[in-house]
Amino acid sequence: MKHTDVIVIGSGLAGLTAALASARQGKSVTLLSYGSSSLSLNSGLIDFLGYDDSHKAVKSPREGIMGLPETHPYSKIGMEEIAEAVDFFRDFAKEYHMPYHGSLDKQILVPTAVGTLKPTCLAPHSLAGSESLEGKKKIVVAGIRGLKDFYADIMVENLKKSLGDDLAYETIEIETPLTGGRDITTLDVARWLDTPEGVDSFSKQLLAYKGKKDTAVIVPQVLGTKGHACYLTVSSRIETDIVETTGLPPSTNGLRLNAMFRQALRDNNVEIVENTKVIGSKCEGKACKCVIAEAGVREKTYTADKYILATGGFYSGGITMRSFDQPEEPIFHLPVYSVKGEENWSNEQLFSDKPQGYAKTGIMTDETLRPVDEQGQHVLENVFVVGRDLGGYDLCFEHSGNGVALASGYKAAKM
Amino acid sequence: MSEEKDKAIYSADHCLSCTSCMSSCPVMEATQEYRGPKLVGPAHSRMHFSQEDYEDSLDFCSNCKSCDRACPSGVAVSTLNMLQRGEYYRTHPHKQRDQMLAHGEDMGKLVRSLPFGAACANLGMKIGKSLGVFGMLGIAGKRDMPSYASQSFYSWFKGYKQQPSDKKVVFFPGCFINDNEPQVGIAFVKVMQKNGYEVLVDQKFNCCGSPMVVTGYLDEAKEHAHNNVARILEWKAKGIPVIACCTSCSLMLKEEYGELFGEDEMHEAGANVYDAFEYLAIMEEKGELNTSFKEVKESLMYHVPCHLKSQGFGTPAKDILEEVPGVSVELADAGCCGISGNFGFKDDKYEISMKVGAKLFERINISQADEVICDCGTCRMQINHGTQVKPCHPIEILAKAYGE
Ligand SMILES: Cc1cc2nc3c(=O)[nH]c(=O)nc-3n(C[C@H](O)[C@H](O)[C@H](O)COP(=O)(O)OP(=O)(O)OC[C@H]3O[C@@H](n4cnc5c(N)ncnc54)[C@H](O)[C@@H]3O)c2cc1C
Ligand code: SF4
Ligand code: SF4
Repeated sequence: MKHTDVIVIGSGLAGLTAALASARQGKSVTLLSYGSSSLSLNSGLIDFLGYDDSHKAVKSPREGIMGLPETHPYSKIGMEEIAEAVDFFRDFAKEYHMPYHGSLDKQILVPTAVGTLKPTCLAPHSLAGSESLEGKKKIVVAGIRGLKDFYADIMVENLKKSLGDDLAYETIEIETPLTGGRDITTLDVARWLDTPEGVDSFSKQLLAYKGKKDTAVIVPQVLGTKGHACYLTVSSRIETDIVETTGLPPSTNGLRLNAMFRQALRDNNVEIVENTKVIGSKCEGKACKCVIAEAGVREKTYTADKYILATGGFYSGGITMRSFDQPEEPIFHLPVYSVKGEENWSNEQLFSDKPQGYAKTGIMTDETLRPVDEQGQHVLENVFVVGRDLGGYDLCFEHSGNGVALASGYKAAKM
Repeated sequence: MSEEKDKAIYSADHCLSCTSCMSSCPVMEATQEYRGPKLVGPAHSRMHFSQEDYEDSLDFCSNCKSCDRACPSGVAVSTLNMLQRGEYYRTHPHKQRDQMLAHGEDMGKLVRSLPFGAACANLGMKIGKSLGVFGMLGIAGKRDMPSYASQSFYSWFKGYKQQPSDKKVVFFPGCFINDNEPQVGIAFVKVMQKNGYEVLVDQKFNCCGSPMVVTGYLDEAKEHAHNNVARILEWKAKGIPVIACCTSCSLMLKEEYGELFGEDEMHEAGANVYDAFEYLAIMEEKGELNTSFKEVKESLMYHVPCHLKSQGFGTPAKDILEEVPGVSVELADAGCCGISGNFGFKDDKYEISMKVGAKLFERINISQADEVICDCGTCRMQINHGTQVKPCHPIEILAKAYGE
């Protein structure tokens, strides 16, 4: 039986952060992962709090967080640790060649692929929308020939609403050698831009805007897969601000962030076990003794002093529900909070300014992120819960997904 | 064991279209011609198994299984691809080269039956290569075919005297170790002897069938599966596990039979099969591993084969070798090597295969490590072809640590 100081279950942003922060404290860490990290789907932008409970835009996430109810994960984590987590992440990102901008005190507004603006807190240079767009007189939206899911014309229509009619708008289309085969994705274009020929061709096609300080070029998430190297090269060649949008999966920026984490975990000797789904645990009293994971045709047992549960809640199989009103956490059988009563479970209007009741389903913890029962008593002393497994918040409604994942992952590592 | 893993075709409906598999597919990264795992695997197979319909770009899938490992929903993407390929070749003719690429075992047997067969075959292949015969057959002319060892593993084994023991394991060498790299099997036998085990062999085993599955000879692979599963179960009844050093063989025997053909005995047999280092790690957990190692002063770069990653037990070779005084192990962590069994031997896939392997080649070329280790024979060939470095199997380092 393999023993390490810490076992982290799940390799989304919460698990990756918990594993890295634990290793940086000198702990030996095993990361048990199933499926590639979900960072290939999400933008890798760190939202902390975009909207309050009446769906009003939050100007300062720091202030917004202070006003949250005590059942919210942020209230458990505490502002001091949230701020430390931000510093930790920014230091890591800088060290691994894709510095993130922003702070807890204001929002960065990032253009989406349809031209709306989405609030976030921390973003790499290439995605730091409003920071680069401020004061511009002209916006050039550059689509890619053959790339679906990015419609420059629709984008301009919406940008006019969000940035103003008074700016000049122009759309162009970039040619690539990628056409003629399957439908291309942003990831295909980004990989082309990892090559010298790609960067040359791409930059050349933008030369018309060279040195125009009052102009910004908006492109889909295509500026390479390796940190911000490609962004730096292209911007220095065209000497004009260039801005990426968010978009549909696969997300290039999420993949960049994932690759950085993997490199950092390797550099810090974290053992990553791939393709192993944790299916149970053995506990004595309030202590978990081991977890059991599928290893192909057989099972394998892993032991640690401390276990961090980062299995992604409802969305990623960390919480399951076979019968209504009875959500389960399959590994430790932790108590799962959910709203009571079928009528409160969902809000009929999928896209509205009201939250969805079911979205707050998750595991409740105390300030140390140890799971608690309805009476607030610890269920297990050496298990910590992070990310989307946590109950009491609606990440889609309030735009807080990666913020909670990052802050809770960091805090659990410290405990 | 979760239900969806038991048979691939039922897993297609678990697909959420999340695109994780697409981001992980090395062939998609190397060519725009392949439409990728999501569309070709779950999406297309749902229709294909009920309709006469074939997705042309399926031919690009190498069965490296990176997509399966990426999928958060348990879809057996690559196996869906292999089932569709097999279905296609039921009604369509094979390419000329397929026969040869899928039947290395028969070639090996033929070579062994002739006097000086190995030397002649190696010479023949050199001549064949220089005359461009391979190219005509549709085999990548730039590659060397694996050369035959002068003595096969089985033939060495017959003449080797072991210390008898009550603790026994059956060794499944697979075609490549038997015919081309018997030194790996020899190292395995010596390692097990040092641990108080007696190694048995069973020559009634066939080729595991992996080359057939990827080349679309599904029915033939199923016959091999039936034979091998019956053998494994017979050993199981005697309480003796079957162990392989080649990770594609062990994956096929353990899991892929069940996924492809879904028969109960296949799952039962799979549970009696182990990868060599997986087994050594289990011995270690029980405190049964002989750890009186001699010093081996070597820094190793370890390319973990895709088919080992798929088995979900981590990298026990790294853990065990790091216990040997003087040894350090660094993971290459550079993705798929690109050869994927016989994929990289096809002339029309050669370029793709080399493009996929480029990251690994670069990592090895700039590495300061004394030696490169890798559990898979065809990966080792690809590394050798792409870097000129000659890698070995980790079991060979362990044998050294036992003074063998
Ligand atoms: C399309 C999309 C876009 C998004 N965009 C943003 C954004 O722009 N900004 C933002 O802040 N947030 C965004 N989010 C939300 C954000 O992704 C999540 O809230 C956050 O990343 C959750 O991280 P996590 O680590 O808790 O969970 P996950 O990322 O879901 O990771 C959980 C991991 O655990 C694994 N796992 C599950 N069960 C087991 C098991 N038994 N054994 C082993 N492993 C297991 C899963 O396979 C998964 O990889 C987005 C989400 C989606 C889906
Ligand atoms: S098996 Fe490999 S080549 Fe085939 S679809 Fe999956 S990842 Fe791609
Ligand atoms: S990773 Fe799995 S669920 Fe996602 S698209 Fe591929 S097969 Fe479907």
